Amino acid sequence: MSDTDAHLKKFEKELAAGTVSLVLLAVLAAAREPLYGYQIAKRLEQEAGGVLAGKQSALYPVLRNLSSAELLDTHVEPSVAGPPRRYYRITPLGRKVLREWIEAWNATRRSVDSIIKS
Amino acid sequence: MHTTPSTIAEYLDQLRAALAGADPAMIQDALYDAEEHLRSELADNPQLSEADLLAKISSSYGAPEEVAEIYRNQEVTVTRALRPAPRRELSNNPIVRFFAVAGDPHAYAAMFYLLLSLATGIFYFTWVVTGVALSMAFALSLVGIPFLILFFGSVRMLSLLEGRIVEGMLGVRMPRRPPYPDRDLPLGKRIVAMFTDPRSWSSLFYMLMMLPLGVIYFVLLILSTVIPVALMVAPILQGFWHLPVAEIGDINFYAPAWTYPIEFVLGFLGLFLMLHVARGIGRMHGAIAKGLLVKIAA
Repeated sequence: MSDTDAHLKKFEKELAAGTVSLVLLAVLAAAREPLYGYQIAKRLEQEAGGVLAGKQSALYPVLRNLSSAELLDTHVEPSVAGPPRRYYRITPLGRKVLREWIEAWNATRRSVDSIIKS
Repeated sequence: MHTTPSTIAEYLDQLRAALAGADPAMIQDALYDAEEHLRSELADNPQLSEADLLAKISSSYGAPEEVAEIYRNQEVTVTRALRPAPRRELSNNPIVRFFAVAGDPHAYAAMFYLLLSLATGIFYFTWVVTGVALSMAFALSLVGIPFLILFFGSVRMLSLLEGRIVEGMLGVRMPRRPPYPDRDLPLGKRIVAMFTDPRSWSSLFYMLMMLPLGVIYFVLLILSTVIPVALMVAPILQGFWHLPVAEIGDINFYAPAWTYPIEFVLGFLGLFLMLHVARGIGRMHGAIAKGLLVKIAA
């Protein structure tokens, strides 16, 4: 039992590596205003399943990476609730990258699905 | 296993403990993210108490240990993907490393230090010899003791100055403040301490040594620069203007034409070798300076 568990964990981790970035970019592309980490996590929570249902703390490092790659813009605003919140907004480069990622994702998903079904 | 934290501060403490030993910048990021998330969650659910909320957190945001694990894994991926490989790893090839010296600012700085060391060496040596001679001459007179004190003080200031030069040009970390003994000691004891401090004596020795060392460094540097340059220029002079390689009395010596490319290549390589020599001597001298001007005090 435990060795299939380890395999599943490893597979999930590898699968999540790219898809989490894709989903975060998509959420921010759909948002009308800049969002902060907690809001993004809540939006994902409603839809999340599979590898995306992982711990929400995993989203924050990915957000940082996307913004250091200049796919996201970020700024900090003070909040009444506690520490200042870091808001993220998608950049034009991020939108362009997202379109390419979605194409790659669709192509991959179609072929993976058809191979699995056959 | 930790108990479930009941306050945000406790949660952050557990997270900090779980991340112990990791890169401080990463710890700061992780704590910042966690606090932002938890406080937002708290603001979003005002009906829940902090303790109830934190009990739920481990299934959504993650327990401190899980979060630490996620950040550690992420950090490994990020370092591998984002940071360029350190320069040292690029040049494992000995040939690349041989030529890479031309891009090392320390090599050129060391060259200038070696040139300068002739001048500073003469100055230090003269200063110390004059000082010692005058101290001996004055020893029996009234000004003997004050002069000796002044002289020792001047040597310590000079060694501080030399330390600044060494740090600036050779890149060896040297002290930035003079090594004064305890400020609380009375003046008399401080003066005695100056004479019993082995560093004063080793500094004197260093200043004396700087004359022969300066001469040797200077000659080595000039030779290792002039010989490669001569090797590179000689074929050109002989080829175009028929100037001999050497002239002894009335006899002119010429190198055969087939040696021209060899001479040129040897000269070219010699220039790089000179930079290596300068950097190597610079490192060695940095160690000597550190040993005599700083270390002995400890």
